Amino acid sequence: MSKTTRILTVDDSASMRALLNHALTSSGFDVEQADDGIAALEWLSENEVDVVITDINMPRLDGFGLIEKLRTGNRHRDRPILVLTTESSDEKKARARAAGATGWIVKPFDADKLVAAVRRVAH
Amino acid sequence: MPCERRHKRMLHQPIISAPPLIRITVLQDQARVSAGPRVELSTVLGSCVAMCLFDPDAEVGGMNHFLLAEPPAGRGNGEVDVHYGVYLMEILINEMLSQGASKPRLRAQLFGGANLRAGMAQIGSANASFARTFLERERITLVREDLGGNCARRVDFRPALGKLRCRVVENTLAPDTAPVPRPTRSSGEVELF
Repeated sequence: MSKTTRILTVDDSASMRALLNHALTSSGFDVEQADDGIAALEWLSENEVDVVITDINMPRLDGFGLIEKLRTGNRHRDRPILVLTTESSDEKKARARAAGATGWIVKPFDADKLVAAVRRVAH
Repeated sequence: MPCERRHKRMLHQPIISAPPLIRITVLQDQARVSAGPRVELSTVLGSCVAMCLFDPDAEVGGMNHFLLAEPPAGRGNGEVDVHYGVYLMEILINEMLSQGASKPRLRAQLFGGANLRAGMAQIGSANASFARTFLERERITLVREDLGGNCARRVDFRPALGKLRCRVVENTLAPDTAPVPRPTRSSGEVELF
């Protein structure tokens, strides 16, 4: 029996977290949620996850900061991180890539495309 | 100089009028944010809804104008695409935050959501219900709403002052809208690095 893929979604919008939770749990994923980068780091310091999906614009610690912290630590250095954002600028996409993001998804997300991307990057 | 003469001179000074307002029309699917004291955001609504946000400390405000889209092909027959509505709300909130607003300080006002034609699908009610639920979920305080009914509305909002006027207008002034598929630019494209 294969292990269920566990995903941490990081977004300061409760509405967006609810949409993500519905799309991902409907496809059989185990979903945990954090409402900003700091809450995500706290959760990840004590838990394991297969994929992180993060927004960019968040209070306290944004998506860029979260990616940088995860990539400079040991525990989640190789974890797939998908950015899910309303941002469309090439400059921000390049910044996310340089910080170590695995992929870039534009909101509003298409559930099928999101699920396909998660399956592709999950180890 | 005697007071009388000084007063006389003041009477003959030219009257300096306030600089004119900078009027910006907010169309469907748009969001505009400003801290400009002379800026006025305006829109005319039928079944669409406008959400106006104001941060009194940062003295910045913004308005969006949305109509929920149809869901992607093959899904949710007769439903609306909530994903696209959440996206349009997030665009406005992110722009407010980038101009110095704070989410806990935001004060919201909602307008529109009329059902202009009897017997047609209650599109306006669906948009109004979505907007209320969104604000509850995001814990943003709703200070005023003028939603529903069967009349078009015009909203004029001074975003830096938080001053707003909403009035009923002829239904012929409101764009005749029906849900359409979400714009192709917003199709959830994925790029793996």
